[in-house]
Amino acid sequence: MACSSITYEEGIQMSSGSDPPRRSGTNGDETAGSGLEAGGDADAEAVGSEMPDLGDQWTVDDLDEDWERRAVEMLEDVDFDTELGVELSRDALRLAQGELTRAEFNEKHHDDVYEEFGVDERPTTEAGGIEYESSTRTATSSADGSPLPSVPETDSRPVPSRRGILKSAGAAAAVGMTAGLAGCLDGAAQSTTADATSGEDGNDVQLGMAIDMNHCIACLKCVEACKQENDTDRGTHWMHVFRYEEDEFGDVTEEYMPRPCQHCSEPSCTYVCPTQARHKRSKDGLVLTDYDTCIGCKYCEVACPYGVNFLGKGEPTDKSPGFTGSATDERGETVGGPPPTGVMGKCTFCVHRQDDSAQRGTTACEDDCPVDAIHFGDMNDPESDPRAYLRENDEESRFSLLDQQGTEPNVVYLGTEPTKDAEPVDGPYTYEDLDMETLAESQNGGDGE
Amino acid sequence: MSLDGKTGADRVLQPLTSATKGHFVLLALLALGTLWMLFAWFVQLRGGLMHTTSLGDWGVSGGVPWGLYIGAFVWWIGIAHGGIAISAAVRVFKLERFAPIARIAEVLTVLALGMAATSIVFSLGRPDRIFNTIVQWPFTVHHSPLAWDIAVITLYLVLTLTYLTLSLRDEIYEIRDRLPYWLDPIYAVILIGYRPEESEKVEQLLWWLAVAILALVPLLSGGVVPWLFGLIAAQPGWFGAAAGPSMLIESLTSAMAFVVVTIAIFRFAYGWEDFIRDAIFRDLSKVLALLTLATLWFVVHDVLTGAYLAPHHVGDITATMVSLPFFWIAVLGLGAAFIYLVAQLLRPSLFSVGRLTIASAVIAISILNKKVMFIVEGLMHPSIPPLTNLYPAGFYFPNWVEWSLVLGTIVVVGLGFVVIGKIIPMVELEVVDDDETTPRMGDPPLTDDSSEDATRPDTEVN
Ligand code: SF4
Ligand code: SF4
Repeated sequence: MACSSITYEEGIQMSSGSDPPRRSGTNGDETAGSGLEAGGDADAEAVGSEMPDLGDQWTVDDLDEDWERRAVEMLEDVDFDTELGVELSRDALRLAQGELTRAEFNEKHHDDVYEEFGVDERPTTEAGGIEYESSTRTATSSADGSPLPSVPETDSRPVPSRRGILKSAGAAAAVGMTAGLAGCLDGAAQSTTADATSGEDGNDVQLGMAIDMNHCIACLKCVEACKQENDTDRGTHWMHVFRYEEDEFGDVTEEYMPRPCQHCSEPSCTYVCPTQARHKRSKDGLVLTDYDTCIGCKYCEVACPYGVNFLGKGEPTDKSPGFTGSATDERGETVGGPPPTGVMGKCTFCVHRQDDSAQRGTTACEDDCPVDAIHFGDMNDPESDPRAYLRENDEESRFSLLDQQGTEPNVVYLGTEPTKDAEPVDGPYTYEDLDMETLAESQNGGDGE
Repeated sequence: MSLDGKTGADRVLQPLTSATKGHFVLLALLALGTLWMLFAWFVQLRGGLMHTTSLGDWGVSGGVPWGLYIGAFVWWIGIAHGGIAISAAVRVFKLERFAPIARIAEVLTVLALGMAATSIVFSLGRPDRIFNTIVQWPFTVHHSPLAWDIAVITLYLVLTLTYLTLSLRDEIYEIRDRLPYWLDPIYAVILIGYRPEESEKVEQLLWWLAVAILALVPLLSGGVVPWLFGLIAAQPGWFGAAAGPSMLIESLTSAMAFVVVTIAIFRFAYGWEDFIRDAIFRDLSKVLALLTLATLWFVVHDVLTGAYLAPHHVGDITATMVSLPFFWIAVLGLGAAFIYLVAQLLRPSLFSVGRLTIASAVIAISILNKKVMFIVEGLMHPSIPPLTNLYPAGFYFPNWVEWSLVLGTIVVVGLGFVVIGKIIPMVELEVVDDDETTPRMGDPPLTDDSSEDATRPDTEVN
């Protein structure tokens, strides 16, 4: 019985976004405030090594001492009363085992929770007659199942809330996290027959990737495939492979990390855009640029911490026969392929393929990777390729890139996060070898550091 | 409100009805400069932003996406505060001795705001679509700092233009027969619905407008403009709570400096030494000294927090900053100007309008330099580790197109002054008249001024 597979009636939504500008239909159709409903399936593949992945089939017995110790560690990280957290978890356990009813659980902890966090959105009266408010609350963060707390969603919030701005935000998130856990176990107690696919809600797809750095050989095929597929400009690398050395007390290892746009759940690029050209497509969570609206102010570029944006230069690479996909997506917006001159572009997760039934669910980089390091799919679907891959490799360490930036990336890396001392290296292949120079080398005389 | 003392008014109005050879030469030079700017812009539009300038993408390309243009934008916004600072001094704080330079400073505000907007347009990849920001404004205003900027700058411009126009109406009405007839349509617009009885009401309105514009200063240069940078968590070189206060001080410093330069040029060109007296410059030099000191003080804060046990990536940024010659040029400029300002305050014999003007110009340029540094520095070391070290460090030096466009904005301001100086009187005639009959601007004993102010009845407004 996986927590991830339970549909529980309170409908606690593991919303992965508080309020990124999101567009579904026509241009300018503002749907800010609609969190991404990710279903209650998010706890299975934990990012970060603190929480062991319990896999698909955990039982209450799996919550052993080791689990509890890790839970304590984790709760210690969030700045709030650890004891209360543990207490809550323990009672959640009792709840799951049927020793406590939900109402009792909530009743018992309401005062403490309120005192600690200043908020307690959990209902305290008997479940029958009440509206659970949790549909407006974020329970956990990134859709792939990071157990880290996120910002609660409040419909009335006029400015998008960002993680870590206010204590109350963090507090509510901590409540959300604990409540999410409780809700999960609660569901386990109530609905012992929920089947393994009910986590799919259908309408809350969040495309993302699991990238296995341990497999990557830095052959740069993904970069090349992207250039061919999307006909990007000279020196523009929507997909890029970091090649670097780590020196651990004299042991030097070479590591490779492919880097597409992270198609964040809290994309800072969409927040700052003054025209809504940069937006998150509600259908599948892709972060796209409307090429007909963008004014090329480059604000998204400076606001994105990953360096994935490239302004159109109108100088296509000769790697490509030209872009052959559809530039217009299902909504009729121009978002695919290379951007026109002066308009911002970045990795689209091959949006033209996602809108084409024959190629849906694939990307050029994934297709061309000879070692199967890239796994693309719906991060909210436990059966998807990336989720299954993460599960199969649950003993490997994993991370989200620049997780502390609050953008909630939807690319999960298997491997070790590069350290601040990672030294870029040229090998084993350079872009020049493959006729894909970077502008840094041509402009700065290659003094890249 | 009589125009009995003709001489002063005559001399202020003279530029409106006659022009010297020098005027035409200047006009031609400025027009040429403007044409050059337009040519450079044409080159940029034709070739594409990324091709024709040194701007680039950060990340793999090791470029800097925001550079001189955005620096110039912030600079012009700052300078735009000069007008309201002077007007507020006159109208709200009743420092009437600044009245003779109020008009020039207000025109400077309008021109500077225009140039700020122009600098943004230069920086866009698709300037033809600029109106998308307005169309989408209702949907973006709750999350995009750029949308906040658009709102505040527009408000600022509207209020300042209203202020300027209202303050002109009485005067234009009185002297309409002495104004060039071919500009009549312009005066007709300024005078729409004018009734002589409105003066008192307009005075009140102007007072309130001055207060409102004054309130916008911290909102603009201490608020939305620094927030463009200070809120961006992705760039540690920008992120921070002190961006607002330090930018506000820098902005006011450059504003004061620019006002000094502008009025010095006017005074020199038209021989207005008797209404724009040395005392005004002396007063401004005191304000400027104080502001420059505050700017330097913020620089110290900046460097210290980045140097003393700073987090790795912030330390890197500071280390690079202090290793760049541009940083020291800015600091030296500010420091040298500050030393001169203090010296001439202590030893009045060192004072001369010419020297003060040079010091002010140095300050204004140093602050432009500093603002560009701030923006570029942050982007040269973008993001946080590990990406900061995995990507190549950025490199940027503006090329001829960028220099032409930014220097062009200064030329356009000059052109604007030359043209507007032919349309409206650049000194309030009331001031000049008063001046003829009751010389009230003691020259140079500054101490007189304060006692005079104290005895002046506050009858004008409210
Ligand atoms: S990686 Fe950058 S560009 Fe991509 S969605 Fe996240 S913030 Fe936006
Ligand atoms: S460059 Fe385009 S997409 Fe990016 S913030 Fe500006 S208008 Fe939006």
